[in-house]
This record gives sequence, structure tokens and C-alpha cells, in this order.
Amino acid sequence: MQYRTRDFVSRTGLVFGRSFFPLFAIAIIVGATLWGPWVSLGVTVIAIASALRSL
Amino acid sequence: MIPEAPNAPAPAALRPWRLLSHPQDWHCILFHVICLAAYACAFWLYLHPKVAGITGPWSRIAFVLASALVLGWISGIDVGVNFHNHSHRPIFTSQFLNRWFGRMWTFSGGWPSFFWEYCHVTIHHANLLTPEDWTLPKHTPDGKFENFQRYLFAHWPWRLATHLWKDLTARQTLRRRSLRELAIFFALWSIPFWINPVMAIWLWVLPHWIANAFVMNSGMYVQHAGCVPKTPAKPVSHSTVFVSNLFNLTMFNIGFHSEHHDHPRVHWSELPELHQRLKQDLIDGKAHVVPFGNYHAAFLLAGDDARQKGFAEQDSRYKSTQ
Repeated sequence: MQYRTRDFVSRTGLVFGRSFFPLFAIAIIVGATLWGPWVSLGVTVIAIASALRSL
Repeated sequence: MIPEAPNAPAPAALRPWRLLSHPQDWHCILFHVICLAAYACAFWLYLHPKVAGITGPWSRIAFVLASALVLGWISGIDVGVNFHNHSHRPIFTSQFLNRWFGRMWTFSGGWPSFFWEYCHVTIHHANLLTPEDWTLPKHTPDGKFENFQRYLFAHWPWRLATHLWKDLTARQTLRRRSLRELAIFFALWSIPFWINPVMAIWLWVLPHWIANAFVMNSGMYVQHAGCVPKTPAKPVSHSTVFVSNLFNLTMFNIGFHSEHHDHPRVHWSELPELHQRLKQDLIDGKAHVVPFGNYHAAFLLAGDDARQKGFAEQDSRYKSTQ
């Protein structure tokens, strides 16, 4: 059971990890409906700066 | 002798009931579908500004900038990494699906799939770091790559268009196929312009420019900057290896670039395992290995001499004692 749970978590993590950037893009774009376009722009700039610094 | 991937899929003829060549290839499809969905969301919100909190020209600029940046980012990965894997190892067992999914794959990155495949496989992989490899930056008289920013702004689409024109019009068979692929590409690529031409400029053309100039071109630059063509004396100095776990998780293991060039038919999901098997060869061969990914490498190489030295530093776990 523990093995199955770990396997499931590992596989799910892989799927989300590999799709991280497009999911992030959707969150930024659609998120503008919740928090407005300025916050989306701010988060995008911070994300790009973080990627250039550490990734 | 370097062993190939042990669990390479059986030929399609042996298992005709399967759609995908490799079980993990559905991750590639998912990535591309989410990319297309992101474009669709951006287009819809641009056309329904009140829903996105767009109240005037400045908030529209903020929305367009945020969307174009993230769309460009993911399109660069979608073509430069994700489709790239398909160009080496087609993801479907059906040739028809491979051809058509490929066409649907690269148009959202500003490329006809055949053109991208030609540049990458026929030119880049076959002529790595030789004068015939016109996909890479030009060399200065002292043998180094040209300036980082010059390559980013001059390569796509200007230099590429010139080279592709010369190459693809040289032979009749290539010319015919290129024309057909170009026509299919323009039919697909023009769709946003039919919806709203101004929207297409800002949320389609601009992201494609960002994807190509900043994501794909910078990737090409950092993967081979400071490298030399493969020789028996320097077998693993043709590419830099990026071993950041987070980078490789989110970028389909493209960081294992030396391994990829030496074994382009190994599936992208099996590159970490191949890397472990080849680790000692990389250390002994003094391969350039860095602990970060392409993005930080681009940041370092875009800077002054002091910053560029940071890129040249070797990951401490891969230092040769010889």
C-alpha cells in the first residue's frame, strides 16, 4: 500500500513538474480575472527574474 | 562502448494497438495541449477585457505584456524542447499522426515543423560546431561564439530565413515539400489574424518572437558556448551538461545535452539514467558540467566578463582529478 501511494505521488509529481510552465502560464493569464492584469505582470516579472537567477 | 536505453520501445509493427511510441510521451501531448489552452485563454480574455480587469489602455498593456511573456516562454519550451524530442523520436506509432501532430505542434511557436526538424536534425546534429552548422552562433576570429545579444536578435528569423531559402530551394524534392509545409503552416498560423489582427500581433507574433529570440536562441547559445567539435581527444567537450534537478524536471531532461547529442535516439525520459551510466566518462573526459539550467546560464553569458566566468566554473561533483 505504501509502495503504491509513493508510486502514485511520484507519478503525479512528474506530470505536474513537466507541465509546470504551461500551467503557470494559464494561472497568470486566467488569474488576471481574479487579481487584475497588474498583479499578473508583477508575478511574471518576478518569475522570470527568479528563473534567470537560479534555474 | 556505451549501452543504449534498455527499455526502448518495440517497433510499431510488433504492437500495432498502441498509439504512443513510449508510455511517457503523453506528457509531451499534455504539455502542448496546455500551451494551446493558454493561448485560447489569452485570446478570449483579450476579446472580453472587462472579465480580465482591463479598464483602459494601460491595464491592457499590462495584460498583453504578462500574457506575451508567459506565452513566449512556454512556446519556446514547447518547440525547442518538447517538439525537439519528437523530431528525434516520433511520439506516435502512426506516421500520419506524427506528421500532422508535428504540424499542429510547431505552428504555435512560429515554425513549420519540417523546417524546424531540418534545422535541428539535418543541420545542427549532423554538423555540430562545424562551419556547416549555421544554426549556432557565428565564431569570432579567436574561435569564440559571437556576442550573446547579437545572436539572439539576428538569428531568428533573419539568418534562419536566408539559410533555409538557400538550402530548401536547392533541390526540387525539398522545394516541393517545403512549399507544401509552408502553405500548411500559414493556414494554421493565420487563424488568430482572422479573429482579430491587433490581438494576433500582440498575443501571437510577439510571443513567437520571445519564444525564438529569448528562449530557443539563448538555449542554443548556452548549450554549446565554449565548446569544441567532437574529436577522439575531446569526445565530450561539444556540449555543456546542465544538472539542475528542477530544470531537468520541468524541461524534459534537456540539460543532459552531451548525452543527448551522443545518443539522440535515447528517449528523453531515460536521459537521467544514461547520465548516471556515463558520469565517470564525463568526468574523465573533462566535460563542462554546471549545477544550474539554461536560464541562469543565459543570465551569466549575457553579462560582462566577470559574470561570464561564472558559467565557465565546473560543478564541484564533476571535477576531474587527473
